[in-house]
This record gives sequence, C-alpha cells and structure tokens, in this order.
Amino acid sequence: MSWKNAIFTIVLFYIFVLLQNSFFPNFNLLGAIPDLIFIYFFTLAFFSSKEANYSIIFYALIAGFFSDLYSLSYFGPSIILMIIIGLTLKKVQLLLKNKGDNYPFSYFISLFIAFWFIYVSLLGLYFHFFNFNIIFQLIYNTITAVVFFFSYKSFQKSRK
Amino acid sequence: MKGVKNFSIHRRNHNLLQILLSGMIILLILFVLNILLLPVKNFFFYISAPIQKIVWSSSKSSSVFLGSFLNSASIFQENENLKKENQSLLSQIAVFKSIEKGSLAQDSVLSACQNSGFEFVMAGVIGLNDDDILTINKGSDDGISEEMPVINQQNALAGKILKVYKNFSKVMLISNKNSVVNVKVQQSDVLAPEIDGVIKGSGGLSAYLDLIPVNNNINLNDVLVTSSIDKSSPKDVLVAKITQIKKDDQKPFQQAQVNLFFDVKTADNLFVITNYKKE
Repeated sequence: MSWKNAIFTIVLFYIFVLLQNSFFPNFNLLGAIPDLIFIYFFTLAFFSSKEANYSIIFYALIAGFFSDLYSLSYFGPSIILMIIIGLTLKKVQLLLKNKGDNYPFSYFISLFIAFWFIYVSLLGLYFHFFNFNIIFQLIYNTITAVVFFFSYKSFQKSRK
Repeated sequence: MKGVKNFSIHRRNHNLLQILLSGMIILLILFVLNILLLPVKNFFFYISAPIQKIVWSSSKSSSVFLGSFLNSASIFQENENLKKENQSLLSQIAVFKSIEKGSLAQDSVLSACQNSGFEFVMAGVIGLNDDDILTINKGSDDGISEEMPVINQQNALAGKILKVYKNFSKVMLISNKNSVVNVKVQQSDVLAPEIDGVIKGSGGLSAYLDLIPVNNNINLNDVLVTSSIDKSSPKDVLVAKITQIKKDDQKPFQQAQVNLFFDVKTADNLFVITNYKKE
C-alpha cells in the first residue's frame, strides 16, 4: 500500500466517522444509525487481495481507532475485533471458491450480515438481541453496505 | 531433503516471529493510546467540533425539509391533533390561573422557585451515537462535571452528563438503555394523590413508563414530569407524554409507551444545570 493510499484511507475514515456521528443521527431509522466505519472497513477487507494481511491490520487499526474514539470505551475493543474480523474474513473467502467473479455480491452480503452480528454482539452493545432496534440497525446497515459495495466496485472499474 | 526441511522450519519461525512482532506493535500502540486517552479524544473532538456543528445543523435542516415531503399526509392529521392539544392546554391554563388566585398558589410558587436560580451552561450538540449518547461542545473547562442534569430550551429533560473531557462532554439521553428517571403524572387537580413511576430508556431514542401501580388511573396524553424522588434532576421538569397504556390486572404494575418531549432533531443547543445539588 502506498502512503498516498494510506492517507486517503485515513481521511475517508475520518469523514465517515464525522458523518456517522453528526449527519446520520438526523436521518435515523427508528433510532438506528448506520455504522459507516464498520461498513467501509468490511468493504476494504472484502476487496483486499488474499495476501494483504498487513493492509487489513492497517485498516482495522484506523477503523477501530475512530470507532473507539467516539465511543465511551478505552482504545482497543473495536481495533482488536476488527483485526480478528478482517483476518477471519480473508480465511473464509479463501474457503469460498468462486469460478468467475472473485468478489461476488452474494458472498459480500451474507458475510457482511454474519460478521456484523458477530461484531455487534461481541462489542457487548446489545445484550437484548431480540429488540426491534437491532432489526432496524441490521436493515439500515445492510442497505448502506450494498451502496458501499457497488460504489467500491464502480470505483475499481473506473481506476482500471 | 534436509535443506528443504530446514527452509520450512526457518519459514515457519519467520512467520511466527512476524505474527509475534505485529502483535507486540499493536499492543504497544494500544498501550500508548490508552495512556493518552483523554487528551487524544479531546484533541479529536476539538478539531472536529466546528465541522461537526456545521454537519449537524445542515443535516438537521435537510432532514426537516425531507421529512416535510415524506410526511405531508400526516401533517394534516398532526395539525388537527395540535389544535386539540392547544385547546386542552388553554383549559389547563385556565385551571392554573384559578389556582394562582387561590390559597393553593403557594405550592405552585414554591415549585417554581425550586427550579429558578439555577445556573446553566449552554452547549451545542455536535454528535449522537446509536447508544443514545450525545456529544456536546462544552466540558470541564466550562464547569461541567459528571451527573449534571441536561435540559433543552423548552425545559424538557434530555439526560445527564455521563463523561466529561476538557472541552467536550457526553450526555446520556433518557432514552439510553441504562437510563432510569423517576417521574410523576402531572395532574390538573393539585389535591389529587401523586402518581409516581419511572421512565426507562429502551434505546433507539425511545423510552417507556414503568412501575405505575395497577390501581392508579393514568390516561393517554398525560404529561410526565420529574418527581421529587429523583435526586439526579430538579423536580417538575417536563419528560414525556403518555401515548399508549399497557395494563394487565395480573401484574402489580402497569406500563405505558411515551413520547419524549426531548427530540434530538430539534436539539441545537442544550442547557447543563451546573449548580443543581442532589439532596
């Protein structure tokens, strides 16, 4: 990863954390706000090459830092969780072989939902799993993740 | 063959060393970050606050604009409801005026006196997260400390200060899942016995009324205010309005859905009561 890419990633994460905390609360869906940091981290990790473990750790450090920055906790929980999620995601992607597209939408969406649940439950934010708010959180986050997926894909195409 | 085996062991050792080294670097970064936790957080809030304030205000106005399009059908209904509510409020004013003239006015004055004389720090809202925790742009430098009550312009309870940084604070809203506020049902008949309950946050910017004894009669649109039992905030501060009652004779307490008076979408500035002393 070039230093230009690294700075671009940090700036984008910073913009997303500002939007997540100051823009989207006014567009909440019954109190649910999309976790742009996690969605962008997941998108980056999903589209990373299979050998890019250090890039994933870098993304996790930046994403986790910004997540913990705006939470009440110490620095650490989100960083560690995102490192684990990012590296596990790559292992799962290795197991899921696909003939045509390396990064199919069906894998993205199913893995996103699974890892989002793991992330949210491990962070300990939602002890009551079956409240309605978590359903809206899931819906809002999934819709946003779909937008990120197609935006990232079109961005990659335009670069080629 | 021996060479290949040695190479493989070397490679494995090299990988192990890399993992260990990466782990140690990450732990070191975390250690340093946590030593500098408060200054780091305060620094980022400080440099982000002007942008956040602009983003917050612009997103609020766009959401209101967008909402007016999306909710155009319900605006008519809402207007009708407001008219009815206005009439009801006018009748309440009439009741209060008659109380004022009578000897019972003393109670009302005493109550008003308790709420006056408070010192406030006005703070701008710059962020909100999905745990119903607001970020405001005033902190310990402005005399704010933890547990201080926070209200809005309309004298409605927003929550209390949860965490204070040098220039910023986190406010736990009454809709936060860990929030419990003692309330009473505001009644026009001042001689009627007080009905006490608690407002519990349920997350997602909503809350519910609980622990109202089943034999107490509560009605839709009843207004809930903080009670004198609650030591964390001044009494008679507006909290919520009852929208739906859940009564089950098998249970000792009834619950109710409520509409909080504090609305994040209309909150530009909040007021932190800095000299409220818990009794």
